[in-house]
Amino acid sequence: MDERYFGEFGGQYVAESLMNTLKELDAAYEEAIRDPQFIEECAYYLREYVGRETPLYYAERLSQEYGAKIYLKREDLNHTGAHKINNVIGQILLAKRLGKKKVIAETGAGQHGVATATGAALFDMECTVYMGAEDMERQALNVLRMEMLGAKVEKVVSGSNTLKDATNEAIRTWAKTAEDTFYVIGSAVGPYPYPKIVKEFQSVISREAKRQILEKEGRLPDVVMACVGGGSNSIGMFADFIDEEGVKLVGVEAAGLGIETGKHASAMALGRPGVLHGMRSYLLQDENGNIELAHSISAGLDYPGVGPEHAYLKDTNRAEYVSITDMEAMDALMELSRLEGIIPAIESSHAIAYAKKMAKTMKKDDIMIVCLSGRGDKDVHTIADYLAGKGYQN
Amino acid sequence: MNRIEARLQSVQEKNEKAFITYITAGLPNMDGMKEIVRSCEAAGLDILELGIPFSDPIADGPVIQAASYKAICQGVNVTSVLAAVEEMRKEGLKLPIVFMMYYNTILYFGVKAFIDSCIKAGVDGLIIPDLPYEEQGELNAALAQAKAETEDTSDVPILIQLVSPVSKERIPMLLEHARGFVYCVSSMGVTGQAAEFHREINSYLSSVKDASKIPVMMGFGVRTAQDVAPMKEIIDGVIVGSHFINLLEENGYSQDVAKKYIEDFKSELNK
Repeated sequence: MDERYFGEFGGQYVAESLMNTLKELDAAYEEAIRDPQFIEECAYYLREYVGRETPLYYAERLSQEYGAKIYLKREDLNHTGAHKINNVIGQILLAKRLGKKKVIAETGAGQHGVATATGAALFDMECTVYMGAEDMERQALNVLRMEMLGAKVEKVVSGSNTLKDATNEAIRTWAKTAEDTFYVIGSAVGPYPYPKIVKEFQSVISREAKRQILEKEGRLPDVVMACVGGGSNSIGMFADFIDEEGVKLVGVEAAGLGIETGKHASAMALGRPGVLHGMRSYLLQDENGNIELAHSISAGLDYPGVGPEHAYLKDTNRAEYVSITDMEAMDALMELSRLEGIIPAIESSHAIAYAKKMAKTMKKDDIMIVCLSGRGDKDVHTIADYLAGKGYQN
Repeated sequence: MNRIEARLQSVQEKNEKAFITYITAGLPNMDGMKEIVRSCEAAGLDILELGIPFSDPIADGPVIQAASYKAICQGVNVTSVLAAVEEMRKEGLKLPIVFMMYYNTILYFGVKAFIDSCIKAGVDGLIIPDLPYEEQGELNAALAQAKAETEDTSDVPILIQLVSPVSKERIPMLLEHARGFVYCVSSMGVTGQAAEFHREINSYLSSVKDASKIPVMMGFGVRTAQDVAPMKEIIDGVIVGSHFINLLEENGYSQDVAKKYIEDFKSELNK
């Protein structure tokens, strides 16, 4: 089988000028992950700088309320507030290995942008982050954080002014500057080998979680759940459980105002296979094959596609993909805040909301691990507007 | 012989350089586009690249992005452009036409159905900037099937191969089955970066020319015949995209301006 593909998904739909760059990247990556020194360097920064490992926290009050044993994988406790930094540390060390002094990144919610700006500061690299104009408004706090970290935030005003367009612009810049610039992709998307690389650097989530649950419960969980935008925290959360047939994998997409309204970001529910951002995967498209605007209250899930391995996991029925509306996610956010004293990111709240639904179908001793991919500090403005009944514009 | 191959052969026989321009389909509107296309033919243009608008044109700079967005807003799609080409062919248009488009548009349409529609309409070639050599299998299979089903195989469109300044050891592979012409991208990145050619442009073009059995065209960032004067002897022709769109936008899609630009460029190129 073609290693660049997951079934019929993936591939390298990029300009000819990037093909050699991708080949070099793949070779460098394969060499790096076989180099004990590189592995040790990654582990060092994840431990000493990011603060890993993250706890697998038994959410007792939430479990009582929902009716199954719920463990939260606390990626929100990572430095910079989300799982994004796991992948950034790996990719920046790879960039360093390739001798690149400049990095670029795209960002939606701003978490990947902040993580990349952080890594660039740490390793003294020049960093430019592409961000949609609308996202810059929704996530103004993260824009400020990136600038404080010394990154340049490039405002993208084309198309929908969100993550999709920021990614287009990052790819265009990369095509121009690949000779001296490394593109740090934040999600499990893009041309091969990126989905593979992002999965590897995020799989630390499930490696830890698997060991932790075996220590705490002496057995594997019944369900593993995570939210899905492009799909980086979820592929990391699934990775070490994919081969464990008894573990049900559930990915939660954003249903926005409701799938039936057409204003959503559920590429798996209603998308069809197509090509965007260098990959073939499920995409939201209009009747001419143009990419449709996604819609979600959470900037991090506001993406019309999904990583190719998720498309494959769906088609092979290894994972199930469901969706949660803005309103359900916001209710879950408030509920987790009050029951456990944890304010989750709106993205992660989608997984919490589905955990509530799923728990109803489970027994009280059944075990579910939910990836709490990020903290909600960045979302306080959106939450305030939402609570004030103002909604938000998209 | 396919229209592209026939035209480039006659240009070569005259010992001339070919000239190709790009326009975004459906602008200023479908009728206006047809008039521009006819003026291009009358002005002696060798090949026309017709851009099918796509929502996410990752290989294009700001000018073509804006033009594509405008066209999509006006309801232009691949079906309406195919219909326009078919009508122009019925009206006697001989100008070779190449569609410049993104792969998703073809996938959504259906790969084989799209090729069949191109044959019916009279589209001579395809340039797909996000479909590198390694991903061309599916499209090539459809092209081969179409050839087997079509009486005159020269009606089947040619998939034009793109080469970049960093293609290097990939060049022989890219050129092996290439037909029509080779599209040499002059710089890294996207369309429309004013004449900032790659620093090793001449040696790069020479290496492609040496390896190629078919004409070699250079595009991306070209505005005037003077821009390409330093490499004119190496290449077989030039492609102008963003600059031509700008010119049309600034002059209200004037047929006279389009005609004069093409005539002047061609005569300067062949001086």
